[in-house]
Amino acid sequence: MNEQLQMMMDNVKQFCEQAIKDQAITFEREGIPESMFQAFRDQGFIGANLPSSMGGAELDRQGYDAILFRLAEYSPSAAFYVYMNNSIILPLLSGAGMNDLAGEVMKGTVRIGLASSNLLEGTGDHDPFLSTAVFPSEHMIKVENGKVLLVRGKFQHADRKSLGLRGLGVGMNSFEAEESKELGRKESLEKLMLGSSWEQSAIFLGLSKGALDKAIEYTKVRKTFNYPLKDYSPVAFRLSELMSDLEFMTHFLFSEEGEQKGLMLKARSSDFSRKATKHALQYHGGYGYLEDFGVEKFYRDSVALSSLMFRPEGDKKALAESIYGSKSGYL
Amino acid sequence: MDFDLPADLEEYRKQVREFSLREFTEETAMMHDIKEKYPDELRKKALESGIIDFSNPWKTMLGIEEMCRVDPGLGISATVPYFGAEILMLHGSDYLREKYLSKVATGKMMMGLGVTEPGGGSDVAGLKTSAKKSGNHYILNGSKMFITNGGIADFFVTLVRTAEPDVPSKRHRGLSVLVVERNFKGFSSNKLTGKLGVRATNTAELIFDNVEIPQENLVGEEGKGFYYVMEFFNISRVFVAAQSVGIAQGALDMVTEYLSSQEKKGVPVSEELKFKLSEMATRTEASRLLMYKAASYLFNYKPNPTITSMAKGYASETAAFCAETAMEVTGMTGLSTKLERFFRDSKIMEIWEGTSEVEKIVISRMMMRGDSSE
Repeated sequence: MNEQLQMMMDNVKQFCEQAIKDQAITFEREGIPESMFQAFRDQGFIGANLPSSMGGAELDRQGYDAILFRLAEYSPSAAFYVYMNNSIILPLLSGAGMNDLAGEVMKGTVRIGLASSNLLEGTGDHDPFLSTAVFPSEHMIKVENGKVLLVRGKFQHADRKSLGLRGLGVGMNSFEAEESKELGRKESLEKLMLGSSWEQSAIFLGLSKGALDKAIEYTKVRKTFNYPLKDYSPVAFRLSELMSDLEFMTHFLFSEEGEQKGLMLKARSSDFSRKATKHALQYHGGYGYLEDFGVEKFYRDSVALSSLMFRPEGDKKALAESIYGSKSGYL
Repeated sequence: MDFDLPADLEEYRKQVREFSLREFTEETAMMHDIKEKYPDELRKKALESGIIDFSNPWKTMLGIEEMCRVDPGLGISATVPYFGAEILMLHGSDYLREKYLSKVATGKMMMGLGVTEPGGGSDVAGLKTSAKKSGNHYILNGSKMFITNGGIADFFVTLVRTAEPDVPSKRHRGLSVLVVERNFKGFSSNKLTGKLGVRATNTAELIFDNVEIPQENLVGEEGKGFYYVMEFFNISRVFVAAQSVGIAQGALDMVTEYLSSQEKKGVPVSEELKFKLSEMATRTEASRLLMYKAASYLFNYKPNPTITSMAKGYASETAAFCAETAMEVTGMTGLSTKLERFFRDSKIMEIWEGTSEVEKIVISRMMMRGDSSE
């Protein structure tokens, strides 16, 4: 990791320690507050990867991933919010020539939710749908009949807590559409999803680190049968193994390039995040099952994000085809 | 060797299935999950319908499995008001059985088991709650953590220290079991909220502040408490295996239905996904067979702790595996249906009544001692 990237990592970490760490549980319970969205803009997180013509900071891929990685360590919801705006919503608006609206989103005067029920495979046609909504949101991006639509209307938040990304009010929310505008074909959205494998990996790895760090701290102080948990070989060896895997993948994230390698990392990091967070929770015992300890959210988010961002069929097929160089894995 | 259950048990299984499908509606399950509310009305209905039958442990086990297959939170809630009853059945005096157990059996009372302590977890013998003898009473001080039914049960079968161990390294000595009523002066409880799953069940911390316990509330003999509780875990772990098999089967049902409906709609289902279904089905069936074997030993009065730990450990990991795999296979559908609740509910199986690590310790210890699993 070069000096500039390390500085970026340190700066975002400092922000997270000061602004998110003590609030992370509240984010889960009550949603991310407006002041935090403002703080993301003030920090330059929103638009970090976008061209200056859009008001962005033109950070390179690694710099942007450093932001997502660090945010996910503390709050996967916060990381997904930044990703969703920078990697999906703003490029879609820009691609459709809606630069004024994109500017409003950058300033925070307009918020746009992302309805995910029919964006990806294995979705069915749920209505009301699962939406990544930053409440209150008057706009929603959704896919209908092969088109990506920007819909304006009335949003109603569900009282049911979703599995993951609770800080963003993800849930079976309903949205009464008043008007809609086409932003492009569904393929344009798929391309953005596919093209942001590195960013998605950064979130998977960041949240894994958040969970594993908690497990390591906890197993240092929690004693059973007169010894701290870290003294037991199954615990120490497993956590060390997971930390090693994390280190390898993090190195890969910040040093490699290319679509195929991005897909490789996305497949590995998505799988890894489920495994790492599960063990992190397990080593907290019953306390890990409680929201207060802040580790169960990583477990929930790892699975919810896998469902939202990783296409078990499509992404694996794309990876297989890039490796074979021909059509494969379709039976 | 006959792998079929007797006809009366198959009929019973069918009755529980019908009851669960009728009563555990998605609306009911979701409401109790969201509000973290114990479904007392379902407890009563289950009892009145006659499907709760603790006179036959095979029925108990199958009932738990079938209910958890439809909804784990509601299924566990409906079958857990009797949690710890076996300790009173096996070791309680006639007075205790009459005063407490008979009322539990008729639904007039609910009970709980107080073993785990804050900071204690798997280390049962390291407990700190103490009961000092004072005349014809014990004076109880301390606390218990993660107690199922903790905020709603009328009394708790509670493991406490009544004497220091005669040998310091033998910490399991000097422990006894007392029946502690909620309405005893000095007793209080704090409901634990914000659980990842099984949110319909009631979980609480119990606090004992100079609680006076009548001497007659001692269960069995003083100093034998650890053995009573370990004996109970041999029983309850079979029932946790049943909860786990139910969850695994429920997740498997949903994935099977999902993939079948995809094919019917003309959406190609890859071999990769079908293999995942096969693995879920195989692991679920293997868990069920291990559970049957553990139950067979236990219910024929020759408990086998090795097989019991294998059954509980493997079934609980299978429940988590199946729920997670189901989420992976169904993608957004899983995220927006009751499957996500199964996923959240499944994880506790690997933690309560002995973590997966504890089960592995038991198995390896017994194997290395030369105690065969057969």
